[in-house]
Amino acid sequence: MGNVLIVDDSSTMRKIISRSLRQAGLQVDDIYEAGDGIEALSAMEGKTIDLILSDINMPNMDGLEFIKCVRAKGVSTPIVMITTEGGEDILKEAITNGASDSIKKPFTPDQLNEKLGGLL
Amino acid sequence: MMSLNREISHATHLQEADLASYVINATKEVFDTMVMMALEDSYPLKEPVTSFHCSVTGMVGLAGTYTGILSIHCPRSFALRITSNMLGMDVEEVGEDVNDALGEIANMLGGYVKQILSKGGLDINLSIPTVISGEDYTVNSMSDSDCVIIPFTNENERFLVGLKLRKEV
Repeated sequence: MGNVLIVDDSSTMRKIISRSLRQAGLQVDDIYEAGDGIEALSAMEGKTIDLILSDINMPNMDGLEFIKCVRAKGVSTPIVMITTEGGEDILKEAITNGASDSIKKPFTPDQLNEKLGGLL
Repeated sequence: MMSLNREISHATHLQEADLASYVINATKEVFDTMVMMALEDSYPLKEPVTSFHCSVTGMVGLAGTYTGILSIHCPRSFALRITSNMLGMDVEEVGEDVNDALGEIANMLGGYVKQILSKGGLDINLSIPTVISGEDYTVNSMSDSDCVIIPFTNENERFLVGLKLRKEV
């Protein structure tokens, strides 16, 4: 069981991820949403977040910068990138910045279950 | 006849049919997993299409070692069906939800194209998606000779996916 923060500039994608988490049978309590890294940092304040799912390409603050900011605050919550980006170097940079794993869009609920099952 | 320019074929070691096949598979996968729709493709496009009526167009730009535009062009009724399926609720008007859904599809397709062109991913950037809609509009990039356009159908409704690419020196 756990609270999840979904960070993606597409409201459609946030809804799809949210629905897919439930369809995947993952034990989710509250789901919070943010449209970019800056909104996500605000959304985290005062809340217990057990898992962060973040896009990479976003306006204002992208996913790579967002991970850096989260880790710089000393927060160790697992961050999994859910992104259209499949490039090795970008994903390596995400891991270096502190991401735990990545999931390529488009995805199925089964793929979410496989990647996130151990984190919730 | 629409076609991929020779410079791109040479740089990517892909013929136009290979690139078209990659875009067809990517589009079918995106629609199968995210839109819950099975598509039929009817590549190649028989005649150029540059003018759209009561339609919605989603576009994402590529910039870096290659530049280009990946676009999806749908009749309004089909854009509403796509959005309704993605959101799991009835959407009856073109607005923020439709713009977001079409933009996200363009974004996912742009991600596939980027992956063919750049293994590492750092030498090409994808833009934030742009969506336009209207009664009558023209997309100039679709009239260029180096644009690959693929028609798809679902339940007798047709839409187009276009890819225009240029290799930067």
